[in-house]
Amino acid sequence: MTPVHATFGEVAAERRVASVPLSHVSVELGHLYMEDFEAGPARLREQFRRVAPWLATVRSLWRERVPGGRARVSTCFLVDDYFSRFSTPAELVPMILEAAAEHDLTIDYLARESACAQFEDAQSNGVELARLVEDRLVDDPPPDTDGSRPPVKETGWLCNGSRSPRTAPVQAMGKARPWEPPVQNAKRGHSIFVDVELWDEKGPRRTWSCPFLAAVWQLLRLGLLRSDGRVPLPPVALDGGWPRDWDDLPAVVRLDPQAAPFSAYTTLSVLSPRFLPVELAVRTILSQVAVDDEVLRQIAGRSEGEGVRLEEELVDRISYVFV
Amino acid sequence: MGEVHTGLLQNSGEISESTCRQVLGITAGETVRVSRRPIVHALSPERLTGVDCALPAASRSRVRGVGTVVSRCTVTGGRVAQGSSYVRVVRSEADRRLAWSHYLARPGVVEVLGKAKAADLAEGFTGDPAPGCLDLGAVSGRFLDLVQASPLLDRRAPFKIPRTSLRWVAETGEPSIRFTLHTEQERTLRLTHPGPFTPAVVDLCEDLATHDWLLTSLLVIVERARIGTTPGAQAVARLAPAIDHLLHLWMPAARVEEWLTPFWDSLERRPGFTRQWRSLVDRVRDQVAMNTLALLSASAETGRR
Repeated sequence: MTPVHATFGEVAAERRVASVPLSHVSVELGHLYMEDFEAGPARLREQFRRVAPWLATVRSLWRERVPGGRARVSTCFLVDDYFSRFSTPAELVPMILEAAAEHDLTIDYLARESACAQFEDAQSNGVELARLVEDRLVDDPPPDTDGSRPPVKETGWLCNGSRSPRTAPVQAMGKARPWEPPVQNAKRGHSIFVDVELWDEKGPRRTWSCPFLAAVWQLLRLGLLRSDGRVPLPPVALDGGWPRDWDDLPAVVRLDPQAAPFSAYTTLSVLSPRFLPVELAVRTILSQVAVDDEVLRQIAGRSEGEGVRLEEELVDRISYVFV
Repeated sequence: MGEVHTGLLQNSGEISESTCRQVLGITAGETVRVSRRPIVHALSPERLTGVDCALPAASRSRVRGVGTVVSRCTVTGGRVAQGSSYVRVVRSEADRRLAWSHYLARPGVVEVLGKAKAADLAEGFTGDPAPGCLDLGAVSGRFLDLVQASPLLDRRAPFKIPRTSLRWVAETGEPSIRFTLHTEQERTLRLTHPGPFTPAVVDLCEDLATHDWLLTSLLVIVERARIGTTPGAQAVARLAPAIDHLLHLWMPAARVEEWLTPFWDSLERRPGFTRQWRSLVDRVRDQVAMNTLALLSASAETGRR
């Protein structure tokens, strides 16, 4: 009798990770605070006037880079409805789209910043993207971290080195401990020490910081997040008009049905220089997020198949134009 | 190289599959993987821990490693909990510490800055590592604590049994396996396998650790029963936890990939894990049978009178 080779599988024992459609680059045409909107359409028009030439440049750069010149570029715009709420989508969104159109810009996707913290609708079943990312933070270890102790954490803070030791007030007979500087872990010559506040808590409510939500936003645009193996917050087309309440607006709205996919291999954000400190903090956070191995493999495989070489480290897939 | 800590789940009885899922759900948005055949085995998502420290070298030369440790927890049969951690040690291309994102792009890899010999590190890790060196035991211990501290467990374990730790090193080469018992709770394993390292090797080590723990625990329980010196009924009462909680858990090599099963098989020949297990199980059952007979004849006696 020939031996029989048996195979046996169990669905619950396997890991299934969905893949997302990907553009080559996702360009963020702006990120405005509510106060910018309060300043009226003139501020918006000014923003888009500055952005327009950069979008054209990105398009032509990617056309050169992609074999056959068929670059997939999608554009997006993030509305901050987390820290303060202003107006209604019905009033605000048409104003944004109009101002963009004046400079020949199309916004393919409109997203809500509060969805990066937590979002609930019938489809998503309540995704807490911020928690998802928080659980994937792996602290940058200072030298002599051997695993014997849990990583030193200041609750709600994340840094890129060793903090300056606490200098307690000198006691009457005590010896004063001299100040010691903080040290960046992988410094080049001198340290640039960054310590980022991830959230604060007032009572039971946790407020995520702007850099933390921006880090979530970048991961979402890079197509690197999964919740139970599924893609969280896929873009949704809006039927009917713009709602009167922010809560009735999907997390990511697809405005143009023909648009290239929302998520992309790389991202570019065109921002005002006042966002520079926020983005430094975002990079500090992102360089400490461990992205799912399987997701990284999927994306690497896909990009290689297309002849596009991606940077290995995900922070290097993000670029900026500060204007 | 890695380390597995194994212990009895701090609960009065076996936990259900759904409880397993909750206890092991240590990362938001990640599913716990459960296989049901031939025994219920639940595996948590993997978590990383950053390290930048000296690696244990037998020659005591200072070798610095930077990277991430992969850790996970398992629950087998709703009864046995494990915390397991491992790293793959590779030579660094740059001879200085790089940005942290570089190491995060290589989960589970520790890069050696400067020169180091694989054999020296393997010897050092399974030997007696100097303090301040990479401490995978502490990491695994913390992950096991994480499971044991779950509020879903009632913390009323039916018997007390110490945790065991299995420290292992796997290298590529001609197949060989060396399993060493050190103290009551410490074991080391040196494994040489053909082909590059895969996580299947970790599964094998966890499986060996589970069965070594089962064997150790059953031995302890049989010893505590003091068969032959205590009255039969008392000895049987002391053996009861083993019957209730351990005897059905023996499923060697259930989740070991086919190419690694020869390693289990060779351990079955010498020292013979299953052989020892069977003889212990027989001993427990014989005690129960003897005691039953004694009780039956005693009641028959009283009936005759």
